Amino acid sequence: MGFPLLSLIVLTPAAGAAVLMFLRSDDAVRWTALGVTVLDLALCVAMLANFNTTTHEMQFTETRPWVPALGITYALGIDGISALFVFLTALLGSICVLASWVAIDRKVKEFMVSLLVMQALMLGVFCALDLFLFYVFWEAMLIPMYLIIGVWGGDGRVYAAFKFFLYTLAGSLLFLIGVIVLYFHGGETFDILALTAQDLPFQVQSWLFFAFLIAFAVKVPMVPVHTWLPDAHVQAPTAGSIILAGVLLKMGAYGFLRFSLPILPEASVHYSTLMLALSALAIIYGGLLALAQDDLKKLVAYSSISHMGFVTLGIFALNLRGIEGGILQMFNHGVTTGALFLFVGLIYERTHTRSMADYGGLMKAAPVYTAFLALFILSSMALPGTNSFVGELLVLSGGFAANLAVGAAAVLGALLGAAYLLGMYRKVALGPASVNARFKIRDVNAREMAAILPLAVFVLWVGLYPKPFLDIIDASVKHLLVQVHGKESGQ
Amino acid sequence: MTAAALFQSILASLPEIVVVTGACILLILGQFVRKGHFLVWASVAIVLIAALGTLMLAGEVRPAYTGMFIADRFAVFFKFVFYLATVLTFLLSRKYADIEGIGNSEYYVLLLFALSGMMIMASATDLLSIYVGLELMVLCTCVLTGFLRRERRSNEAALKYVILGAVSSGIFLYGVSLVYGLTGTTQLDGMAAAVTGDPLDPGLLLAVVFIVAGLVFKVGAVPFHMWVPDVYEGAPTTITAFMSVAPKAAGFAVILRVFLNPLVAASDAWIIVAVIAVVTMALGSFVALVQDNFKRLLAYSSIAHAGFAIFGVVAGGADGIASVMLYLLIYSFMNLGIFGAVIMMRNGDFSGEVIEDYAGFAKSHPGLALLMLLYLFSLAGIPPTAGFFAKFYVLVALVERGFVMLAVIAVLLSVVAAYFYIRIVMVIYMREPQRAFDPALTPLVRATLAVTAAGTIGIGLFPAWFLRLAQHSVFGG
Repeated sequence: MGFPLLSLIVLTPAAGAAVLMFLRSDDAVRWTALGVTVLDLALCVAMLANFNTTTHEMQFTETRPWVPALGITYALGIDGISALFVFLTALLGSICVLASWVAIDRKVKEFMVSLLVMQALMLGVFCALDLFLFYVFWEAMLIPMYLIIGVWGGDGRVYAAFKFFLYTLAGSLLFLIGVIVLYFHGGETFDILALTAQDLPFQVQSWLFFAFLIAFAVKVPMVPVHTWLPDAHVQAPTAGSIILAGVLLKMGAYGFLRFSLPILPEASVHYSTLMLALSALAIIYGGLLALAQDDLKKLVAYSSISHMGFVTLGIFALNLRGIEGGILQMFNHGVTTGALFLFVGLIYERTHTRSMADYGGLMKAAPVYTAFLALFILSSMALPGTNSFVGELLVLSGGFAANLAVGAAAVLGALLGAAYLLGMYRKVALGPASVNARFKIRDVNAREMAAILPLAVFVLWVGLYPKPFLDIIDASVKHLLVQVHGKESGQ
Repeated sequence: MTAAALFQSILASLPEIVVVTGACILLILGQFVRKGHFLVWASVAIVLIAALGTLMLAGEVRPAYTGMFIADRFAVFFKFVFYLATVLTFLLSRKYADIEGIGNSEYYVLLLFALSGMMIMASATDLLSIYVGLELMVLCTCVLTGFLRRERRSNEAALKYVILGAVSSGIFLYGVSLVYGLTGTTQLDGMAAAVTGDPLDPGLLLAVVFIVAGLVFKVGAVPFHMWVPDVYEGAPTTITAFMSVAPKAAGFAVILRVFLNPLVAASDAWIIVAVIAVVTMALGSFVALVQDNFKRLLAYSSIAHAGFAIFGVVAGGADGIASVMLYLLIYSFMNLGIFGAVIMMRNGDFSGEVIEDYAGFAKSHPGLALLMLLYLFSLAGIPPTAGFFAKFYVLVALVERGFVMLAVIAVLLSVVAAYFYIRIVMVIYMREPQRAFDPALTPLVRATLAVTAAGTIGIGLFPAWFLRLAQHSVFGG
């Protein structure tokens, strides 16, 4: 066991949260929180710099006994699939602190503590190699997220926080039963890698597949268990929305990749058509709902449902392009939708309205803002040269290879995406200012630019030169496919 | 009985003797020292001496009094849960008892006698010694329930408890007499040996049903739960805290010994027990949703928790027993913690009994609010708190025995239960304060809150040691 880099990455935000408890001035709290998240980001960059892209083995592993009587260990480690999300989480962590700099003006300390605790738990989810440990991180996230939505959210925050909490809890607890059943069928261990090596009977796999599906589908969220998402997104403060869209939604898809596919390969193949159909439904349905929105935040929230449909579509295409596209889209969605929520938050701070009818002609008042907004909207539409183009292309080619009808539905969904995103840009940025637009709009300041720029860099970097990103995940995805199809064909 | 056997018996029951003697001495001393710190510290000292004795005798299994009583590790585990609950109750009582004007020596003496009754229950291996312990405990807690003499609801609660308790005791005794008539013994081992013949004697089945009913009453499980909310609401809050933890644990100690007895096992009682568990949890969770009174809500929550613990009894086996034991230990920490917070709110004309009283508590007392958040999320079973591990281990035991459907029902009902704990968090954190209040935070209450918080978070993060302790304390192993 070498240097405990992953423990350091996970524990730094938690330690930072503990330090914040003793600070008195709000500004000191903000700067310390920023310092902690930037430090954490630096650790993640160091992790990526030392990441070996030629192997699918878990790297930076650490193992310590935790509850030996039940075979529970404190085991951390990452492969290509998790590495990207560890980095994304740390990146969005810093941006969340910047995004809440002035937007959060009461109980600043408590907010930053919740934010840092949340970040530690999310990093833990992506690093955990023990199912019990994974579950503890996964479930503990409910506490800070409940508070972030419920204490600092909009007018309907209490209802939204409840709904978020209960949906996720109900899904997760069934997942817990699945985990325990898996424990007894998989040789009484919670070690994820050992469980992956088990060959479970198809009957057991099927039951577990649906137990896991409920938990992951709520988190993704897939239609029809998506209804908590618009409420939570609309009510959450900007940082909360960024975390929700950027990281939390990824966890469901990550669950499919980490548990459903390698541990339950036969069931995954058997039910892949169902999953593809649900994905196509989410793409079209989410797109149609987004098209009908007037509230900016709701529009972005519903577009998330559609975009996450592309992710699950790619994953359950069960071929190399599909899965790599799905994972890349998860990263892209985190960057792009995170940025869109940031932009909605910026404009809301200035105008205190989210209705698109109240906007118009922003281009004149805030040229820098609208220019960057255009970039992210184009990225969300998957225009060539932006990050989502690469991901969506991979997903579509994987999807068409898996199922023609589903691929066609996804293309239709992409068209819908162009419609609602361009419509949104037209209503907000172009044309004459609306009669209600009586605001004096300030353009983005330096602090806001500091939050926007890194995201813009990633939009173009992935769009123009995706190779480094695909290299990170490539070996792991190829290994995953061997696990899925190798076992299915009886090896 | 030879002198040596008598000495061995006395040695085995030394902790009980210490508590009873201590209580008697305190009763006499209490006539001279009516109030003050002396009573608290003397009572705590008595419990600590008993705990020391228990610890020193824990090395080996000591059967005593010709099969009526046993000092084994199972009993030791439960006795420590009782000690913990009793000592914390003493610490919480000092200021509260002064405010309510009930801080005389009888209050502490009765608690000590109740403790001795529970200790006898944990060690009893005969239906009659179980009954003796049970009645000693019930009568003492009953008097304590009615201790707020000037309050009508306190009197009413005590009356309700006495009458219903007597009925349940009668039912239990009727079952015991049937067992004795049919098998010629009241010893649990003897009963086990008497089980021959398939199918079981219908008379024995009837006896089992009566005994089950009598015991289920004491832990407040459906359908014998009706007394719980009224008694919990009417009793002084410190006594409610005590009753929700210690006598409940004592009831489970007996239930484990009796239900996992081969006689009961042979009668397929687990089906009844499973139904009781499901209905208890469902009723506790759903009715708690509509409560406005904090004490009543916690009463229903304790019914729901009893239901969850009964799932562990259904699972049976070594893991099942250990899971119930661990559950009760963890429940003591988190429930005494949340009750400590309620007790602390009783100051001046402020009762702290209505949930709305806590509106905006996070704004005025962020530290205390954080503690309440910890206890509430633990009661809801969210990791990394101890409450999660308690539930997790019960579920493991259930799935191990193949009761996956029961496990699914249990988790779905805990989602319902989570709702009302989270609702309190909502009131604490997301409402504006209605009025200023000043919690009665004495050093003793602070100490209690610190101990319970340490237990709630400590067992959650490092469950290994406690799990091993519970697994090693399972009887027969």
